[in-house]
Amino acid sequence: MALPNQVLPGFSASLWCQTGTTPTPLTTTQLSTWTGEVASIVGAVANGTGSAGEQLNVEAIPKFGQDDASANFYVAGSRQSDVIPTQSKPTSLTIVAAWNPSDAGLLLIRGDAYSGIIDRTFVIAAVDGTNTVAYAFNGRVSEFTIDTAPNAEAKCTFTIHPRGNQYGWSNNT
Amino acid sequence: MSQQNPLNYAKAIQYQLAAIATPVPVYANFNRNFASQPKFITWQLRNVHQPVYTGQNQNNKGIDKPIFQINVFAQDMNDAFNISNSILQSLHGYNGLFGGSSGFQISKADVDWLYNTYDNTINLHHIIMDCTLYIPT
Repeated sequence: MALPNQVLPGFSASLWCQTGTTPTPLTTTQLSTWTGEVASIVGAVANGTGSAGEQLNVEAIPKFGQDDASANFYVAGSRQSDVIPTQSKPTSLTIVAAWNPSDAGLLLIRGDAYSGIIDRTFVIAAVDGTNTVAYAFNGRVSEFTIDTAPNAEAKCTFTIHPRGNQYGWSNNT
Repeated sequence: MSQQNPLNYAKAIQYQLAAIATPVPVYANFNRNFASQPKFITWQLRNVHQPVYTGQNQNNKGIDKPIFQINVFAQDMNDAFNISNSILQSLHGYNGLFGGSSGFQISKADVDWLYNTYDNTINLHHIIMDCTLYIPT
């Protein structure tokens, strides 16, 4: 497995999504399967374009992963209490992109936000030369807004809410 | 979006300033041979830059916001201010076709009147302005 083996710059990360207005999201197993699954969204070569996906031209990839949640237990007879991680939700991704009204990817996102119930597979890909490491997850889009502040290009902002337990890591072979 | 050719910016700036200030001559950069003229304008283009966003897609960029500096020179201080005012009135807030029929559309021109001064070596009043162009790409 050709996993990048060095510290990656933040700007090497890019966001991809399945195409189609009513996509079939990947299963949990497929989300961590590179060949034929994640690779078909991000492309088999680094910075390629998969047959079933396209890149979303966003400004930056926000923090992704898992939110924190814990319970604090007091243990009789012990000097220290105990903090136990409890069930927590995946981190929502609030993303800003330059607003191009004809951009096919942003139109998909806009449609998803109006619907609110479309599950779509998204992939965050980070590359090192020709190698890619991918974090794939299923999510729904909400809160699509357009900010037309006059001192720069218009921006659209949207939030992807990942579905619980539907994620996977993979990399190119 | 793709980067546009700064040469086209330069051509358009030259055309536009000449159209505003005519018959006052307009030159790119300063040429000391011109210092014998009672009034003239020079300009310099800088800060051609589109913000670059994440990922390896080279076209994932924002709009271009180049700045050109306008230098108004005149032997008479009134002339310097009047020419500067003409540029300010014409360009500040302007949107539309920039650079004539062979130019391009701009979303906005934003003029910042910086300061006036006097150059003792060439005996000319000098007014400096910055104009930012917002160019959708």
